[in-house]
Amino acid sequence: MTQTRSAADDLVRLLGPDRVFHDEATREAYARDATPLFHRRPDVVVTPASTAEVAEVVRYAAETGTPIVPRGAGSSLCAGAVALAGGISLVLTKMDAILEVSRPELLAVVQPGVTTIALDEAAGAQGLMFAPDPGSRTVSTIGGNIATCAGGLRGLKYGVTRNYVLGLEAVLGTGEVIRTGGRLVKDVAGYDLTRLFTGSEGTLAVITEATVGLLPRPAAAGYGLAYFGDLAGASTAVDAIVGAGILPATLEFLDNTCIRAVEDFAVLGLDVTAGALLLFGDDGDPATVERTVARMAEVCSSVPSCREVTLAADVAAADALLAARRCSLPALARLGTLTLLEDVSVPRPRMPEAVARIADIAARYGITMGTFGHAGDGNLHPTAVVDADDPAAVEAAHSAFAEVFRLAIDLGGTISGEHGIGAAKLPYLGARLGETHLGVLRRVKAAFDPAGILNPGKLGS
Amino acid sequence: MTFTPDLLSRCISCGFCLPACPTYELTKDERSSPRGRIALMRALETGTLPMNDPGVAEESSFCLGCRACEVVCPAGVEYGQLLEEWRDATWRGRRRPVVVRALLRAVDRTWKVRLLGLFRRHARRRTGGSASLMLGCFERFLYPKVSRSAVALDPRLDVDPGQGCCGALHAHNGELAEGRALARKLGERLPGTIVTTSGGCAAHLADVLGRDRVVELSAWLSGPASAAGAALPGPAGPILVDGRPARIGLQDSCHLRNGLGVWREPRAILAALGEYVEVPGAASCCGAAGTYALVRPEDSAKVVAPKVDALRRLDLDILVTVNPGCTRQLQTAVRKAGLRTRVVHLAELAASARTDGSGR
Ligand SMILES: Cc1cc2nc3c(=O)[nH]c(=O)nc-3n(C[C@H](O)[C@H](O)[C@H](O)COP(=O)(O)OP(=O)(O)OC[C@H]3O[C@@H](n4cnc5c(N)ncnc54)[C@H](O)[C@@H]3O)c2cc1C
Ligand code: SF4
Ligand code: SF4
Repeated sequence: MTQTRSAADDLVRLLGPDRVFHDEATREAYARDATPLFHRRPDVVVTPASTAEVAEVVRYAAETGTPIVPRGAGSSLCAGAVALAGGISLVLTKMDAILEVSRPELLAVVQPGVTTIALDEAAGAQGLMFAPDPGSRTVSTIGGNIATCAGGLRGLKYGVTRNYVLGLEAVLGTGEVIRTGGRLVKDVAGYDLTRLFTGSEGTLAVITEATVGLLPRPAAAGYGLAYFGDLAGASTAVDAIVGAGILPATLEFLDNTCIRAVEDFAVLGLDVTAGALLLFGDDGDPATVERTVARMAEVCSSVPSCREVTLAADVAAADALLAARRCSLPALARLGTLTLLEDVSVPRPRMPEAVARIADIAARYGITMGTFGHAGDGNLHPTAVVDADDPAAVEAAHSAFAEVFRLAIDLGGTISGEHGIGAAKLPYLGARLGETHLGVLRRVKAAFDPAGILNPGKLGS
Repeated sequence: MTFTPDLLSRCISCGFCLPACPTYELTKDERSSPRGRIALMRALETGTLPMNDPGVAEESSFCLGCRACEVVCPAGVEYGQLLEEWRDATWRGRRRPVVVRALLRAVDRTWKVRLLGLFRRHARRRTGGSASLMLGCFERFLYPKVSRSAVALDPRLDVDPGQGCCGALHAHNGELAEGRALARKLGERLPGTIVTTSGGCAAHLADVLGRDRVVELSAWLSGPASAAGAALPGPAGPILVDGRPARIGLQDSCHLRNGLGVWREPRAILAALGEYVEVPGAASCCGAAGTYALVRPEDSAKVVAPKVDALRRLDLDILVTVNPGCTRQLQTAVRKAGLRTRVVHLAELAASARTDGSGR
């Protein structure tokens, strides 16, 4: 307690009282992110307003050996933003300026606390777009997106966050400020630290500014829905679409459990009796979009278990579908008191097999599991909904997921496609990477954060 | 046990509610966000924070109770219900703000409520109709013309001057049991359908008596009343200002919109009365929030400020409200800002349009 007090006092002296909070209620409000079962109050919450202030906090933390956990919107699904070792929760949401949107250079320069949607809207005002669109885009921050290399609903055609980070300003674990990359399309001077920081989950540096690439905003977008007897059928359709030489923006699927939960919230008139739903869509010039969407509808119809295909009537209908898809996870929470979500990724052709075997695993453990995901990317989110007060059920869910991870690795896949490792998946990282690889991660971390203060107990530890 | 267990466990801390919350918008501090407040409630429930923690008490009071977080929550967290339970627990006894205590005491007995309206010219005509008009406690005193307008719009409405308070005020201010009891009593006093001119009362009554018993006025006018021939606009047609249709905006009532899902109806009525203009942020709280404007005048002013800016830009002829607290809040704000926009309850505007088309 006395130690807590003095850290807070020291930080108040450094940054002033408006940026430092250590009352119990504030600490409690920052004790979680969106990952269930992980909870710890940070000792102090700091909300810096500039890179200089961030650097000052980090220097102080390095000197005193105080853990520091960078935090954006706290929508992490791997406990990445929970201060599991106590210390400082460094909240970057007040650094939320959009410093520049350059149409001729197709880029924007932003502070880390800008939300994904705010950046895309600012780009939109100039006829541009920010392509990465994680389901959490209305809340998640660019800093968080970069730190987790977030994916989204149009990854198949546009890739993920990593493909749009041109340059960063970051504060290392020593308090030193460095700039990587920049406004150049080409630049090979030095190691590619921009990429290294992307997906580093706040364990190597605190991102304090980002230069990100933008694209011309497509003139039109079109979406459709196809219903199938089961998720394997929908996966087969996905494979067939890509196999037919179509590279659409969006191929998202939901199984029956997810369809029912989403319909319960969004009331869109989805077919709740279908085994699975595939949301397909593309953007571009109107004629191409129309043709691509029609071809995808045709391919879907030709899959034996396809029950029905419908096209979204207009932009509003398409937006409603996308919004509903983004809500899959919280909507599933309606079904039980504990919602545990995973994020495995497999090579696309192995997906029908993966979803069938995941369903088997859930049945064997006797738990309710809804699966949805970015089907075009081979990225699956099997989600168990159990009774929090039933330890046996919680245990069964954990065991089931351990099998799911093994399955993913067996199929040539990975334990996390986009949500990250954080604290939640660290126990499984060795199985994916092997000891040598883990050792390299530790040495890399030590080079950037010799005192080991940046998000300890996560990646690189 | 302070909270109904299943209500708290629904929240998965996804944060989707953050952008909807006016107090989070003001502070950008998660403590004053819906997710943060639910975290505090959980800590109270598990005993890891004491009931008298100053930060917890502050947040239960700083919350507007606007329920904007509820409609955007995909997990279906019933925040409004949680807040009532929270205030019930934290504001017990002397911890409740003095103003609130005084207000609640002023309307906790039917005779006191009648006294409030005794010398005011609110509607009081018995028709024996199957639908009753609710007079509201403070509305009959502050805005008696609203009920007169409502019966002018639908003369079949029965008005029982002996009715008391619906208890919404009590339920929102930490007297949950009293609030519910008052609602049930009113439900017995006014059998059949209860028509109300206050969004806040409508949501509370519907919560206690059931949705089928309660209809807010704009929904009544566009539904059952228009079916019975009390259709809009009246004989005089749209309201004219300088020879052109008046430019009319709306401020939603939070509980009407977020609690009962009524927001299309008032807009449709206004579109028939003039040129309807959607005010940016119409759906978000104006800061009246029941007793909030009295208890926390400074925060209330901060919440209404962006609305005043929007109104200044729009330069509307008329801004319409569907809840008496909003009428008061916006009349004050508009007057202080020196805007020419007239703030008036939907009932009054619709009734005046039918009589002489003046909108007065
Ligand atoms: C309903 C829901 C849907 C989601 N959908 C998707 C999806 O489709 N795709 C996807 O990829 N993810 C998704 N996510 C996960 C999450 O939203 C993303 O990981 C997002 O990028 C996190 O952003 P944030 O601002 O909330 O970061 P936080 O959760 O606050 O932090 C995430 C990690 O980044 C670090 N960090 C944050 N800011 C900085 C910074 N400035 N410098 C250094 N490190 C930092 C933190 O320490 C932490 O390790 C979803 C989450 C939810 C709740
Ligand atoms: S209240 Fe709903 S929207 Fe807000 S964090 Fe909880 S589950 Fe998410
Ligand atoms: S009721 Fe309104 S002010 Fe209170 S937490 Fe919800 S959105 Fe925020």
